[in-house]
Amino acid sequence: MNRKLILNYVYNSVKSSALFNKRLDFSKKVSKLSFSSKPAQKADERKHCNVGTIGHVDHGKTTLTSAITKILAKDGFARYVAFDEIDKAPEEKTRGITINAAHVGYNTKFRSYAHTDCPGHADFVRNMISGASQMDAAILVVAANDGPMPQTKEHLLLAKQVGIQYILVFINKADIVDNEVIELVEIEMRELLSDYGYDGNTIPVTYGSALLALNGDESEHGAPSIRKLLDTMDTYIPSIVRDLQSPFLMPIDNAFTVPGRGTVVIGTMKRGIIKKNDNAELVGFGFSMKTTISDIQIFKKSTTQALAGDNIGVLLRNLKLKSVETGMILCAAKSCSLSNHYKAKIYFLSKQEGGRKKPVVSKYSQQMFSGTWNIACRLDLEPTMEMLMPGDHADVYLTLLEGMVMIQGQPFTIRENNVTVATGIVTEVAVYPPSVTHPQASRVPDWQFAIKSVTLTRFSLVTDHHRSARREYHQHLSGGATPLVDVGDIRREAVGDRRRLAPPLQHLIAEVLLPYASFGLFLRKVIIL
Amino acid sequence: MTHYRVPPEPSVGARARNNREAQSAKGSACDASISLLYNMFLQLLRRIHSSIPRWATDTSLLAKLRKKTGYTVANCKKALEMHNNDPDKAEAWLKEQAQAMGWAKATKLAGRTAQQGLVAVKFDKHHGALVELNCETDFVAKNEKFHKMIEDATLACFKFSHTNLKGKGPITKMEMDTEQLRNLHCDGKKLSEILALFIGSVGENAVLRRAECWKSNSDDVKIAAYTHPSPAVLSDYSAGKYGALMAYKQNPLHEDIGRQICQHIVGCGPEKIGSKEHDKPVKNNDDETCLIYQEYLLDPSYTVEEVLASHEVEVIDFVRFSCGEATGSTALPGVEKQPLDHVQTLQ
Repeated sequence: MNRKLILNYVYNSVKSSALFNKRLDFSKKVSKLSFSSKPAQKADERKHCNVGTIGHVDHGKTTLTSAITKILAKDGFARYVAFDEIDKAPEEKTRGITINAAHVGYNTKFRSYAHTDCPGHADFVRNMISGASQMDAAILVVAANDGPMPQTKEHLLLAKQVGIQYILVFINKADIVDNEVIELVEIEMRELLSDYGYDGNTIPVTYGSALLALNGDESEHGAPSIRKLLDTMDTYIPSIVRDLQSPFLMPIDNAFTVPGRGTVVIGTMKRGIIKKNDNAELVGFGFSMKTTISDIQIFKKSTTQALAGDNIGVLLRNLKLKSVETGMILCAAKSCSLSNHYKAKIYFLSKQEGGRKKPVVSKYSQQMFSGTWNIACRLDLEPTMEMLMPGDHADVYLTLLEGMVMIQGQPFTIRENNVTVATGIVTEVAVYPPSVTHPQASRVPDWQFAIKSVTLTRFSLVTDHHRSARREYHQHLSGGATPLVDVGDIRREAVGDRRRLAPPLQHLIAEVLLPYASFGLFLRKVIIL
Repeated sequence: MTHYRVPPEPSVGARARNNREAQSAKGSACDASISLLYNMFLQLLRRIHSSIPRWATDTSLLAKLRKKTGYTVANCKKALEMHNNDPDKAEAWLKEQAQAMGWAKATKLAGRTAQQGLVAVKFDKHHGALVELNCETDFVAKNEKFHKMIEDATLACFKFSHTNLKGKGPITKMEMDTEQLRNLHCDGKKLSEILALFIGSVGENAVLRRAECWKSNSDDVKIAAYTHPSPAVLSDYSAGKYGALMAYKQNPLHEDIGRQICQHIVGCGPEKIGSKEHDKPVKNNDDETCLIYQEYLLDPSYTVEEVLASHEVEVIDFVRFSCGEATGSTALPGVEKQPLDHVQTLQ
């Protein structure tokens, strides 16, 4: 029975891909197999962890990193990386962004670590935004003879900003001071950590001398202290667990039809557990459709449930293939909602990285790419920010042309004339830009501002196939409030590009229509009759 | 100069005192919730104490001294040892030594590259100062000590533009380099001394890179300035990664757009004002280096020239600093560096 079903799926997947390859981004590999594409994942994957070192330039971050590799190299868990190799790390490019960061990899008995050492705040933030590594933990290095420096609080603020949950303290140069002094530094560090929202009482503090360890010293402050630090890292930083508690969510990579059965969608489970006969929703591009999970397949085998991380094919009940688009999301019923509005951290590539040459200001509109989809998007800055220079990073508000489901931490890029100019990650969902009032609220008063004289008859939408935008527009029209504006002065001006339009119309476009764009309408041009 | 919030003192005596205070708080007709809070606080204290051994007297003194002064642990310890654990004498000694230690540190770190930092401006209608201060990491550039340092330097330059600049023509400009900046005074101290103290405190190299002091010599020539990121509240002093000063004339009938043009200069980085007779617009406007031909940042459908014309603005001169940028040698060949009391005049 199973085999037959699989054959069926295969046959149909090829057929349907021929039919629908215009709509769907089909990968040939997938259609050749079954509706789950990747081989079953083995459970033996080594636990992985991203750590970074932060601290004052002279307190021994690089020495510590080098010492760690030296100690582990003895046991065959790492390649020894010398001090100057780390210090002169070549500039690295991730997603087109130059990052001054040294990445060093090593293993302990329990885990593999990717160790990052960024020289500055901006480098850390770029590193995070570009997704080079999301740091799970940071080792805060402080020299015992200096104690915390004035800028140590900036280090902690950074750790908070890039979302580091676990901090370990390493008190370096412990060999050149008394124990009392070490204790004092420890107390100060704990207090400082508590002041910046970490649990200062429980954060593990290790002390030793990275330099001694690097020189092969086996006394208390030498190699043993580094081993102790590594043990602490293994125990204190919890392993990343797949999120099985949250309602399931799966971005759709691919879809096809099985006649008589329904539509099959393929993707990798991001979180949660999906079970047969679960109620689900397919959401994205302004649509939200209810469906039920008829069947799940993992690597050609039908199963009753699948977990986060599994690559699966799902047969959906009562759903037409043409309503599925790559980039939509399959999620547990009522667990996700569409939103046009997101808050994000964004980094604009500098001129040297091939980014823009000029700054951007609010209402900057370009195509945004994320995962397998792209959509027109408007970007608004915090009201206190007047502009963003290439090379800057900031928190911004995104307004998408149509409602999409994006989750926290989802990366995206913004492209202009086929060149990536910015990259970012979503930080909050359904947050409205402060400059724009909530569309529901703005609906009536703004349009009542309209005066009798001349009708603003038409504004064309960005593209015609954006159905939801059109739908909203027609709804709006049928709602009776025909958009009217006073364009008395405009008529005397030549109708043409925006610069020729009189201030009232500019005001109309900027203050009335553009905010409305957040409701699903984007303006390409305004035609005045 | 305060450093961190003063945390619970780790000495036994302090703990007892806290206990007594807690009891008296309880005993008085105080709100029950306050005493509850106090008890929670004490529990927290005990928890800290249970995990950490008790202190010898001098360690608690050391902790206090460090919190009070912020000097490195090693120096605080040395100060206490030298003065038989007399905190007042030790503190006095530390303050006395700070300058010398700062110099020592500054000399030691002098060769290290400092490319991060800030650009600050201070201006009024007829005077302006633009200063760049560099440090090694942008962490330090975010610290309040660094902000204080650059503010001092900018104020010194601003004052200098009031007192020392004289000349003819619409504006008088003075470019300063590291050496000249270090010799300026602020609150009776040389900037180089303040800088050495700062270096001693953060342990990073810092360089007063360059500055511009401007003074307009006639009433209708105004000075405007802008830094990016711009401050949340408009003020005559601000600091950021980029900064610009501009001198301009404007017909008072129009809305003053000096700040907006300055923002454009910071954003689009023109190299010169450009003139219609000598300069031609380049093909790709993104590569345009003449201010007048650039698309206006706040409304790209106009060129800057059109904006200037419609507001009747005449830009006389501008200067733009981008923090950490490589500077072409500004001094003309054959022209020697001018002493501080000398003044350049724009003809």
